[in-house]
Amino acid sequence: MKTSKSKATKTAELRKEKVLTLLQNHGLIMYNDLDQGKFPQFSIPSRSVSNIVYDKKLRQYILGNASALRSSKNMSQLRSFTQLAWLAFFANKLIREGKTSTLRDIYYSSQAFAIDFEDQPESDNIIVDLEAILTSAREEFHIFPEERSSVFGDLTIEYTVPGYEGKRMNLSDHPDGYLIGPSLSSAELVDTSAELVIAIEKGGLFTRFVEEKVHKKFKAIIVDTAGQAPRSTRYFLRRLNGELGLPVVILVDGDVYGEHIAMVIKSGSANAAHLRELTVPDAKWLGVWATDIEKYKLPTIPMTESDIKRIYELQKDPRYQEGNWKTQLEVFLKLKRKAELEAFSKYGLTNITDKYLPEKLELAKSL
Amino acid sequence: MSSTKETFSQISPSEFFYRNRDLAGFSNPTRSLYTSVREFVENALDACDQKGILPDIHLSIKAVEKEQPDPKQYILTVKDNGPGIESKHVPLAFGTVLYGSKFGLKQARGMFGLGATMAILYGQITTNKPVTVKSNSDGKMQDEFVMLLDIQKNKPIILKHTTKESSKIGLSVSIVLEGDYSKAGTKVRDYVSQTSLITPYASITFEDPAGEKFHYPRIVKEMPPPPTIIRPHPHGIDVETIRRMIVDTHYQIPTVDNKMITKVRSELGLQKKNLNPKGILDRAEKRWSNLSRPVRTVIAMISFLNLDFDGLSKIRIDDLDIANKKLTYWNFGESQSHLVELDPESPYYKQLVNTVQGDTLHSFLTKRFQRVGPTTADKFAEFAKFKPEKRIGGMTNEELVKLSDALQKFEEFLSPDPSCLAPLGEEPLSKGIMKFFNPEFAAVIQRSASAYSGFPFVVEMGITYGGDIPPKGIQVYRFANRIPLLYDEGSDVVLKVVNELDWTRYKVKGETPLVIVSHICSTRIPYKTVGKENVADRPELERELKNALQYLARKLAVHMSRQGMADMAKKRANLYSKYVPLIAQFSTELSGKKKEPNYTQLIKKGSEIEDQQI
Repeated sequence: MKTSKSKATKTAELRKEKVLTLLQNHGLIMYNDLDQGKFPQFSIPSRSVSNIVYDKKLRQYILGNASALRSSKNMSQLRSFTQLAWLAFFANKLIREGKTSTLRDIYYSSQAFAIDFEDQPESDNIIVDLEAILTSAREEFHIFPEERSSVFGDLTIEYTVPGYEGKRMNLSDHPDGYLIGPSLSSAELVDTSAELVIAIEKGGLFTRFVEEKVHKKFKAIIVDTAGQAPRSTRYFLRRLNGELGLPVVILVDGDVYGEHIAMVIKSGSANAAHLRELTVPDAKWLGVWATDIEKYKLPTIPMTESDIKRIYELQKDPRYQEGNWKTQLEVFLKLKRKAELEAFSKYGLTNITDKYLPEKLELAKSL
Repeated sequence: MSSTKETFSQISPSEFFYRNRDLAGFSNPTRSLYTSVREFVENALDACDQKGILPDIHLSIKAVEKEQPDPKQYILTVKDNGPGIESKHVPLAFGTVLYGSKFGLKQARGMFGLGATMAILYGQITTNKPVTVKSNSDGKMQDEFVMLLDIQKNKPIILKHTTKESSKIGLSVSIVLEGDYSKAGTKVRDYVSQTSLITPYASITFEDPAGEKFHYPRIVKEMPPPPTIIRPHPHGIDVETIRRMIVDTHYQIPTVDNKMITKVRSELGLQKKNLNPKGILDRAEKRWSNLSRPVRTVIAMISFLNLDFDGLSKIRIDDLDIANKKLTYWNFGESQSHLVELDPESPYYKQLVNTVQGDTLHSFLTKRFQRVGPTTADKFAEFAKFKPEKRIGGMTNEELVKLSDALQKFEEFLSPDPSCLAPLGEEPLSKGIMKFFNPEFAAVIQRSASAYSGFPFVVEMGITYGGDIPPKGIQVYRFANRIPLLYDEGSDVVLKVVNELDWTRYKVKGETPLVIVSHICSTRIPYKTVGKENVADRPELERELKNALQYLARKLAVHMSRQGMADMAKKRANLYSKYVPLIAQFSTELSGKKKEPNYTQLIKKGSEIEDQQI
């Protein structure tokens, strides 16, 4: 346990140092350019569709080699260049002072510095630019999204955030679960008796699982992704998998969006192609599969036009070209119907935990 | 057997309107107050327009009992400096429904002057108070009438009639009606202010129930040329209209009463002398070219019946059977019917037949319609497969339908004559807009006349930007025949055209301070509903509106890009001296240096770049 702690702390500190060094280097380059009467510039990896490719080795989407120059010499780029410089300056401050901020907070903070962002989408975009330049997720420079998901189960953590350093907490103490926020993301994962992580798409089912003591029955840590999992949640899942060696299984609605939520946890999204370490390549999609709909005779509702359109889109994605991922898409397309996780309630409130989950977990072993 | 019997009874026009007042815009106290204001103000403006008088309109709305909650009784008074109405016409003009002077074909705000009577009727129904009309048409005497309307009989009941000396010509109408000013107020104020925009040659004063005065002074001193009354266009009529026109041209066999005999005598120069039939015919032949049509017909009858004036006064013509060449008449003296064979060889035969059958198709077309010449009339006859000399009075129903169809379909008629229209004109419209909005930019256009279904129309439009206009997105001020249209905006053709335009192409986006003023003039505005608040989307009209709007939008785009360039230049100036120090500040902190870099050189380079680009 002692070794695990020092290792975690070390990793966290190394990452922090890495980001700080990167920021300082960029600062130095800008400083020297200015001093020598040269216009400073940033080279930003291009995030255009043509530069997003799937890396089979990494098993996620990555950016290609194309990049764009943002120069302070160009009059039309001068403003956004200054915004980027400000964000680097602000991120540096956040990290050094151990403070966190949110996307919205960044937009408002900018107003104090005469950096005129027209709206939040503009400031959000600059944040992604900085992520791409540093190849680091915004969470690493302490900027978090508003939405948060939760976690519950026997896992002891130790805070590293200022004021709570060394304080420990067990994540099964509070039945509503714990928010996966900045403090939890940066906490050390100290100890667990769990043997499994179950990521579930819906808050309602998450509560049901806690009530049904799924964490005890299956020795599991339960994570509510609240729909498409936010980055901090994906990062947290990756740590549970990587640092504690826990397998991750995913339970989502029986529709094309559910299938893709599972895929994004497993291998990332095109939107975050400029980032690494947000994926859990060994995560397993447990269900609800299209084939489960027939097998378990689930009540269904018809797909909408946009559901069907989404299937056609995903069929073009390289990750859906083989295996179960491909098969399930085809069956969905054939059924043209979908089922929610709640559909199991037809056979009793505990049907999903008593029958479906054990069967699927058994099946997952062979996946 | 059932003892109940269905009774059929005729109702008077007043009663009809009383029962259907919703149709005319008097559905509730709010709408009724607004409609009444509209009707009286429009009548006043129309009266001034017709006589070429620069209008001076005073409108006031006063509560009878201020403290009462709405809806309550209001006194509505509209005073103008128009020509006034002759004393003898006042009771009928304001005390009966369907009495008006606006039945010709030319552009006017109202159609028949019905609305004002409706307002009076509504006032009387809701408050049981009379209307007060003060009129001075000669500059000497002012007549004051206090009247009620007898709804069943459609007749005025004069309660009081007084006269006094006055030199001020004009008309003032005052009614008491139930209204809801708290709800109608916005519309009434909008109506008055928008009326002042589209009538820049008028001076309008409005005093509201709170005693606040809104004064809209005259902006231009010249009135637009008045419209002229014209004949209908062939495309604009239907079978029923043709039938009525034929009745007009179809001369009746005159009733030979004493009055007619006196007329015949006077035209023949036989004031006192009595002549036998032969003598009358001789006399007539000499003066034939000077005789009027009815007199010629009487002469023709004399020739066939062989009667003198005395004999003529004792008979009644019953039937003229052209096909069998027979004439039947009744002799009062003998109480006996007579039949006379007509000799088709007689020179008078044609006179009688023509009288019964009316004009030839050729002369019907050239005389009764606008812009149809002899050549076009012949071409049309060929197209419609009628002989040009065919008498329209003798046409059967089928032939009339065929004629009406052909009139609609024949494409070689000239387009309708727009001289019956009275657009405002580009200059007054532009002046009105400038005064009204005090804008940064304005452009106007008057399209040339066009027509739909035979009704001519002209589209005038203005676009205006910035200045006093609030940045609320595109606002549309709709006018038709100089009337502001304030209700039912959503389904209007002008709105449709404005919404369908791709504004981003014209550099307009978001909450722009932009107003479009659209004015449609026509002898018949294609309103969608009887409430006359929204215009239907006729393709011809839509096309004209679209062309006008695109033209104006292009003008606006030119202005916007000039403006945009000026703004950009302002923004660009000193861009480097704004941002470079910030970059210096951030990079100093990031790099951990103590002192800021020396960036003066860069700012100098930056301002050089700026200079090149501007």
